[in-house]
Amino acid sequence: MTTKPEAGTTRRSAPPHDGTPTSGDRNPLREGLRLERIPEPCTMVIIGATGDLAERKLAPGLYNLMLGGFLPPEFTVVGFARRDLTDQAFRDHLRAGIDQYSRNRPASAAIWESFSSSMEYQRGEFHDAAAWAELATRLQRIDRDRGTAGNRLFYLAVPSSLHPEIVRQLGAAGLASSGDVRGARRKGWSRVIVEKPFGSDLATAQTLNRQVREVFDEEQIFRIDHYLGKETVQNLSVFRFGNGLFEPIWNRRYIDSVQITVAETVGVEGRGEFYDQTGALRDIVQNHALQLMAIFAMEPPIEFRAQDLRDEKVKVLRAVKPMSPGEVAHDTVRAQYRSGWVAGEPVPAYRDEPEVAPDSETETYVALKLEIESWRWAGVPFFLRTGKALPARATEIAVQFKQAPLALFARAGAPPMEPNFLAIRVQPDEGILLRFGAKVPGPGFQIRGVNMDFRYGSSFAVDSPDAYETLILDAMMGDASLFTRDDEVERAWEILDPISAAWAAGEGGSLHFYDAGSWGPAAADEMLARDGRAWRRP
Amino acid sequence: MSRPAAERALAVHRRLMRLGAAEPAVAEPWAERDTSVRAVEAQLARLWSNTSDDGEPVVTEKGLPHTRASVLNLIVTVPDDAAAERVVTTMLGLGFRHPSRAIVLVADPDAPGPPLDAAISAHCHDGRNATDRVCYEAVVLTVRGEAARHLSGMVAPLLIHDLPTHVWWPGDPPFADAIFDQLVEMSDRVIVDSSDFADLLVGMRRLTTLRRRSGVGDLAWRRLGWWQELTAQFFDAPRFRRYLPNLNRLAIRYAVPADGGAAASASPLAGAALYAGWIAARLTWRRYRTVGPLTDGSLRLSLEGRHEMVDLRIEAVPTDEFEPGELLSVRLRAFGETGAAEFIIERSGDEAVVATNADGMTALLRRVTMQPSTEAELLAADLVSDRHDPIYEEALRAAAVFLAAARPVEAAG
Repeated sequence: MTTKPEAGTTRRSAPPHDGTPTSGDRNPLREGLRLERIPEPCTMVIIGATGDLAERKLAPGLYNLMLGGFLPPEFTVVGFARRDLTDQAFRDHLRAGIDQYSRNRPASAAIWESFSSSMEYQRGEFHDAAAWAELATRLQRIDRDRGTAGNRLFYLAVPSSLHPEIVRQLGAAGLASSGDVRGARRKGWSRVIVEKPFGSDLATAQTLNRQVREVFDEEQIFRIDHYLGKETVQNLSVFRFGNGLFEPIWNRRYIDSVQITVAETVGVEGRGEFYDQTGALRDIVQNHALQLMAIFAMEPPIEFRAQDLRDEKVKVLRAVKPMSPGEVAHDTVRAQYRSGWVAGEPVPAYRDEPEVAPDSETETYVALKLEIESWRWAGVPFFLRTGKALPARATEIAVQFKQAPLALFARAGAPPMEPNFLAIRVQPDEGILLRFGAKVPGPGFQIRGVNMDFRYGSSFAVDSPDAYETLILDAMMGDASLFTRDDEVERAWEILDPISAAWAAGEGGSLHFYDAGSWGPAAADEMLARDGRAWRRP
Repeated sequence: MSRPAAERALAVHRRLMRLGAAEPAVAEPWAERDTSVRAVEAQLARLWSNTSDDGEPVVTEKGLPHTRASVLNLIVTVPDDAAAERVVTTMLGLGFRHPSRAIVLVADPDAPGPPLDAAISAHCHDGRNATDRVCYEAVVLTVRGEAARHLSGMVAPLLIHDLPTHVWWPGDPPFADAIFDQLVEMSDRVIVDSSDFADLLVGMRRLTTLRRRSGVGDLAWRRLGWWQELTAQFFDAPRFRRYLPNLNRLAIRYAVPADGGAAASASPLAGAALYAGWIAARLTWRRYRTVGPLTDGSLRLSLEGRHEMVDLRIEAVPTDEFEPGELLSVRLRAFGETGAAEFIIERSGDEAVVATNADGMTALLRRVTMQPSTEAELLAADLVSDRHDPIYEEALRAAAVFLAAARPVEAAG
C-alpha cells in the first residue's frame, strides 16, 4: 500500500491558493454528517495518569472516541504523574484499562499501535516547578510536530486536595493562559477538567474555587459530574421543553410533589475511609441529587447553551429554602445500614466495613424534604433520598400529580384512586413511565392503576455513549452545558451546610438504622406519611 | 424461466417463515392459506392482548410483561427468492432494533392459487439493558392474481395507526410498475439500495423524482458514512481546509468481482458514484467533459472546480478480498504554497490507513477501523431516520449527471 503523494500530476498550473475556505470558516464536507463539528486539534494532559481513573474511565473513553471517529487526527495524549514510567509502559497501562473496561475490547493490535503512537509520558512531582516547565516545553514541541495548535486540555485525575498545588504550577509554567483571556495573546486554548468532590462544605468549596480561579477563568474550568453526562439530562429537557403536552402542567397547579431517588445496592466498596468522612449527603445529594432537581425544576433557558442552562439551574438552587435546626429535625432523616441481604448476598453492617469507625455516625442514607420558593414551585415539596445497600439500583425522578377535584367514582363504590405518577428513570432502563387509573372491564367501578411505559433502549437503535465520552468530547469542544459552575457548587453547599451542622450539633434528629436490602428506615416513610404521601417504589 | 410462479412463491414464503423458526417467538406462529385481510387483522389484535392463563390482565409493577415499542411500520416487498433470502438474514440481524410491525409482501399477479396466504409471528428480543424486552410482529402476505395489483388496500388495514410507515424495496425496484407507485404512495419513506439497481442511471434518476415526506433512504449511501467522516476530518483543521478550493484530483477505487461474472450487487459502481457526487456537490464542482467513458466499471471525467480543473477518476478493481461495490481507496490531491498535498484513505482488510501529506509535513498517518456494516446495520440506521437528507439528494443528482456524462457512446444514443 502506498501512502505517499503521487509524483505525477495531470495539471501543472498551480495558482497559489488564496487561503479562503470554500464556505466561510466551515468545512463544507462536514455538513449533514453525524457530527456537525469535531474538536479542534488538541493535546490532553492527564495529570495523575497512572491512577485508577485514567485506567478505568479515561483510557476506554478516549479509545472509544477514537474508534467512533470523534477525535481529530492530531489528537495527542500526555500522561503526567510521579511514577517513573517509559512512554511504552504508560501506553501499556492505558491499554490494560481498555482491554478490561472498554465496551470495545480488547483493543485491536494495529489500531492501538497507531493510536498509542500519539501518547507520551512525563514523570514529575506535582510540586516540582522544573517538571512543569519541562511539560510546557514538551507541549510546544507537540504543537509543532503534530499540529495541535496550542490547544491543551488538562484533566486533573488526582484527589481534590492536590488541585490547588497543580493549578498553581500550571499557572506558573504559563500553561493556563488561553486565547485572549486575561489579556494574553496566546494562540490556542487551555482548559481544565476537575473531578468531584468540590469541597466538603461551603468554606472549603469557596477556597478551592478561589484557588483555581486565581489561575483559570471560570469558562476554562470544567467541573465534571458524570451524572450530567448521561443522555437523560438532554432527554429531560427535550421531554419538558420539546413537547407541548408536559410543560403546561409542570408547576404547582398540577404537581403535588416530586420524589428524587438515587438508590444504590452497593455498600462502600473499599472506599470506607473516604466514605466515613463524607457520608451520603455530601457524596450524592450535594451533586447528583441537587443537579437532577435543578434540571427538573428550572425555567426554560433562553437558549440551549451552557451559560443560559447554568443560569437557570442556579436560580432553582437559590430558591431552595435553607433549613433551621428545627426544620432539619422535622424534614430530614439520616440513617445507616445494619447487616442484611442484598440480591441474595449477605452484607455486613456499615460499621463492620473495613476502614469504618466501629461507632461511626456517618449516614449511608438520607431523605430530605426541600422547598423551592419560586413562583412555579411554591408549596410543592421535593423529596430527595439516596442510600447504599438498598434493594435495587435505581435513579429516578417521580412526579406525583394532584388528584382529580372530585372523587366521582367513590360514590359508585370504588376505592379511592391512587394518584397519577410520571416517573423519569435515569438508570437503569432509561425511560419514562406514566401511571394512571383505568376501569377494570366488567360491571361496577373497579379501578386499577396501569402503566404506560416508554424505554429509550427499546425505541432507538443507537447506543448511548458512556458519560465520560460525552463529557470529554464536550470539554474538547468548549461546551460547558453539562458541567457544573462555581456558583452552583457553592449554592448547593449553602443548602446542605445547615443540615450537616444541625446533625453534628445533635439538633437534627438522631441517626436511624435500616437493614441492608430494605428501602431505608421507617422514619423516612413516616416523614412522607405525615403529609399523606408515600415513597414510590422505583 | 425456472420454476412455476406458484411454487416459487411458496418457496419464498417458507423461507420467510424461518423468521419465526430462528427467533424466540412469544406466541404460536399463525399461518393460514387462502385467508382474508379481516382474518389477519383479527389475529393481530389477539396477539398482544395481555392476559394470563386465568384470563386476568397482566400488569406488573414495572409495567407490561413485554415492552411493545411502537415506533414504525415497515413494509418489505420481496420480488424473488434471492431477495427473500436476504430479507430473512437482514431482519434477523435487526434484533432489538426491529420495527414494531413488519409486513413482508410476496406479490405475483401472474401466479395461480388463492389470492392471499398469510402468516404471523411475534417475537421478543433483549434490548440494550438486560430488562428491556422488545416485542414486535412480522406478517408475511403472499398475494396472487388480481389482488397483487391492489396491494395498498390490502396493507393499509394492517398498519399500526399513527406510526410512520417505511417501505423497503430490496433488489431492483420495479420503478415502472404501478405496484411500486402504490406502495410508495402509502409510505413516508422509501428505502432502496442503489447498488442493487439493474440500471444504475435509470434508477438514480427515478430516485431524484421521488417525493416522500421523509425522503429516500439508500443503503449504498449509508455504506459511505465512515468514508465521508474520515474524508471530512482531513479538512476540519483550518490549515488543511484551505486546500479544499484547490483540489485538482479525486481518485476512487472500488471492488468488483475478480472473475467479472456474477456480482452480488448489480451496480457495484453505485457507492463510488455517490461518493464522487457527494464531494462534487459539497464543493460545487461541475461536469466539464468526459475524458474516459464508462468501461468495465471505470470512468474518468474532467470537472470544473473552484480554482482548478478536477480530474475525477473512478476505477473498478477486480478483487475477491472485498465485497463488490466496497470502496478500496480515495485520494484527493491539491496544490498549495508548499507544493502538492495529498489526502489518502486506503482500505486494508478491516482497517484503513488514513494519511495526510501537506504543508511540507511528513505524513500524518493513522490506522483506523473499517468494518463494513451488515445490511441489517445499514437498515437499522436508516429506520431511525425520518427526514429528507438534502446532502444525499444533491449527491444523487450529481452522481446521475456523472453517470449520464460517462455513458459509452453506443449506449447513449
